[in-house]
Amino acid sequence: MTIEQLNSSKVPVIVFDKKLEQFRDKVLFPEKVAQANEILSKVGLPNTKTLSADKQK
Amino acid sequence: MNQKQKLFLQHKFLQTEVKMNKPKYLYKSEEFLKVYEFVSEGLKGNVKKVVQFTETGTQNVFNLAFGDFNDATNLIDDLSITNNGDSLKVLTTVASIVYAFTEKYPDAWIFATGSTNVRTRLYRMGITNNLVEIKEDFEVYGLTEDGNWAEFITGEDYEAFLITKKR
Repeated sequence: MTIEQLNSSKVPVIVFDKKLEQFRDKVLFPEKVAQANEILSKVGLPNTKTLSADKQK
Repeated sequence: MNQKQKLFLQHKFLQTEVKMNKPKYLYKSEEFLKVYEFVSEGLKGNVKKVVQFTETGTQNVFNLAFGDFNDATNLIDDLSITNNGDSLKVLTTVASIVYAFTEKYPDAWIFATGSTNVRTRLYRMGITNNLVEIKEDFEVYGLTEDGNWAEFITGEDYEAFLITKKR
């Protein structure tokens, strides 16, 4: 596949690589995950109902 | 089902339209589409990048992180400043990877924050540059300074981002 074909592609073009399976069960960015957990435990997920109601006002 | 059939089904599954037809790199993934790899090609040469979606302690929320992979040490560095002159192309590639991931995990929420404030601003820039296209398919939220999620608005500063596919 050429770069031009890739850039004009309307579908995600993915090549599967078995070598990447070595990372599957590893946490490669533990600090980032810890940070995400810390924030999510404090803030949770957005209240989408409240936010969409605010948007309509 | 053998491996070949599984891969074929995944390819079929991914036949969905992605609207971001901006320059991006070809990427590779493993079977579960949680780890990806691509090569940034720029001023400093070729730099291998690894992207990972990791489950967090909150159900259906995955942390998105990426960094430079060093083949010699087998280590990943998410603090390095590559300066390869292709940051927009790298971010568009990561955005395309988000599309691929959410095709397989459509109910997932994706959490992302930079390793540094500069990196977080770079992520914000990446979202801003593709916001029109992203908002057609995703809900995008930013974590404000006062610790609340708000709908992502161009020009605002955020400490973290959350993205989920529109339902």
